[in-house]
Amino acid sequence: MKRILATLAAAFVTVSVAAPIGPASAQPSRELFVVGFGGGFQDAARTTLFQAFQAATGQRVRDDTYNGELARIYAMVRSRDVVWDVVMVEAPELQRGCEDGAFAPIDWSVVRRDKFVPAGATRCGAGAVAWGAALFYDTARNPQAPANMAELWDVARFPGKRSFRFGPKMTLEIALMSDGVPREQVYRVLSTPAGLQRAFDRLEQIRPHIVWWRSGAQPLQFVGSGEVAYAFGFTGRVVQANQQGARYNMLWDTLLYSVDYWAVVNGSPYAQQGMRMIEWMTNLEPLQALARIWPASPAHRAFQEDATLRAASPHSVAANASRGLFIDTEFWVQNGEDLERRFAAWAGR
Amino acid sequence: MMGPSGRRRTGIFLLLAPLGGLVLFAFLLPLGMLVWRAVDNTELATALPETTRLLRSWDGAGLPPEPVFAALAAELPKAADNQTLGLLSRRLNFEQLGMRALLLRASRVAQGFRAPYAEAFQALDPRWGEPELWQLLRRNALPVTPLYMLRAVDLTLSAGGGIVAMAGDEAIFRELFLRTIWIALVVTVLCLVIGYPVAWYLSMQSGRRARMLLLLLLLPFWTSVLVRTTAWFILLQREGVANSALRLLGLVEEPLTLIFTRTAVYLAMVHVMLPFMVLPLYGAMRRIDPVLLKAAASLGAPGWTQFRRIYLPLSLPGIAAGSLMVFTISIGFYITPALVGGNRDQMISTFIAFFVNQQVNWGMAAALGLLLLVLVGTMLYLLQRIVGARVLQAGRGAG
Repeated sequence: MKRILATLAAAFVTVSVAAPIGPASAQPSRELFVVGFGGGFQDAARTTLFQAFQAATGQRVRDDTYNGELARIYAMVRSRDVVWDVVMVEAPELQRGCEDGAFAPIDWSVVRRDKFVPAGATRCGAGAVAWGAALFYDTARNPQAPANMAELWDVARFPGKRSFRFGPKMTLEIALMSDGVPREQVYRVLSTPAGLQRAFDRLEQIRPHIVWWRSGAQPLQFVGSGEVAYAFGFTGRVVQANQQGARYNMLWDTLLYSVDYWAVVNGSPYAQQGMRMIEWMTNLEPLQALARIWPASPAHRAFQEDATLRAASPHSVAANASRGLFIDTEFWVQNGEDLERRFAAWAGR
Repeated sequence: MMGPSGRRRTGIFLLLAPLGGLVLFAFLLPLGMLVWRAVDNTELATALPETTRLLRSWDGAGLPPEPVFAALAAELPKAADNQTLGLLSRRLNFEQLGMRALLLRASRVAQGFRAPYAEAFQALDPRWGEPELWQLLRRNALPVTPLYMLRAVDLTLSAGGGIVAMAGDEAIFRELFLRTIWIALVVTVLCLVIGYPVAWYLSMQSGRRARMLLLLLLLPFWTSVLVRTTAWFILLQREGVANSALRLLGLVEEPLTLIFTRTAVYLAMVHVMLPFMVLPLYGAMRRIDPVLLKAAASLGAPGWTQFRRIYLPLSLPGIAAGSLMVFTISIGFYITPALVGGNRDQMISTFIAFFVNQQVNWGMAAALGLLLLVLVGTMLYLLQRIVGARVLQAGRGAG
């Protein structure tokens, strides 16, 4: 028996000693890895931001997509095997990841702070673009359609499935607004237990009519195939679909919007290059190039202050922001995790 | 000293070493990590090491002594700075709502605190003077916690440390485990009902024909589960093939809701799992000697009796093997319910993925995974005890 163990032990020692030598010694210097949410925005950013940065600086860049979940980034940071360098993150996740050490603090000596809108410069994130979601539907399939959030709940007058993003963020706000809560009071109401219950009760009313989506491409697939009659979808993707021939009507008055950030993964061996890339990508010229091919709303001061820049892309979130609800980052940083759990339990019950 | 037989033994063990390695690295090690993750509780010790040390030696009566407050005041701003406070505050918030805000607020101002620290904390927020809060911190100064395992069965720790039921709007896991087992059972029974005649037909064919049919059966294995499930989505959607056909035939006026239903989950899962049932059945049925049936017939047994007394008992090992395989694989299904099921058709894996990906709460994911493993293990053990004995009896009876 002892001999068996000794043999096995010897085999494992051999394996475990030999294993790291192979890949580690052959590792070439890799490209800078940028990760975003995909879709039309990333296609546009690939040419106007990523590849343009590569052409300007010689730093090779590769990009990939994820759906905004932090798990892989946490796993990389904890195992000290960081292969993503620059990532696009939503505001509450950025702050959460910053507190948890998943993102490195932005080097504000490399990235110029003064070019961002006030909310665009945070400890671990540099503002990228504003994004929004709004209600849209296919006019060919639905000649009669709800005109606002309250009518979206009228399943007798407007039959068909409704699609929202799976999760409490945006969904609870929509539920309250459909119940008559004015935009500016949404988070005050949502901060009380009674207000939360009211939002969940409101959702319960149309529960059988709801189909949830998890990735940004899904609401367009659902509406495009007729599976769902009315959906909240990312505005940029809906605008792009219309440019490609779809006949979707989007209600800008149902807009909910927020800002995405660029962040550098903590422990990235390419952190310095990442900072330089973020500095480059948030400059006015590349952003203007981006705005020419995608209805983007960069978190750059000039786009906020210069009306002609905004008017140049009428289908951007920035041009329609006054009609929408700004998603309260602080509320979701404080309550997001607990509400996600409560929401998941409610949805699965 | 080592004779020929010894050398041969060494050779055998060397040959078995890869298997041993596989079992160790692919099974035992992850299992150990799963168990460890489900009880691991090092957030407080990582973020506030000195406070943790002092809390461990505190007797737990009333409020802790001044040095604990002092250590906390010194360590909170440091933890915020080196980005370890986030994990701690989220961990404590998971146990007790409001802890996150309390800790972050204190960490922002603690630098300016002067002795006596206990009073400085209580002036900032009276909760720092509540014994329950300090019980919570003291509990979490320990390196292990039962919290995740309790939550996995809809229990939780009360403020005082006792075990209480989870609040109604977050209690879902008992229901979810039952639903998971139920779906896996239904899929297993459906596979058996559909697969048994198919396997019987296959076993009756000979040579080339049998090989061709087997190949057809295995064909679905060449495409991924994801692709096959997506195909079901396309078939079952509102304007999909199934609804178009039904309307063309005039069977329905309005399109039926087929997708995002439990029926769709069963359909897609049975489609994926059927070969896992048919193959073991086929194997068992091939081994049944047809002469036995002829003998029974010659003794005057009608068809049904032949089946019940001879064929069924002899195919029992195939039924047991196929059912076990289908059940154990089905119970861990994730993609299929996620794509074609509604929210009330999601299985436990969906929530494990939710805790891993969205909440980044690996403790909770590990606890649910561990519970699922224990559950499946127990069920398999019981099934083997019951079915195993009967199969043995049947074999003896036939012999």
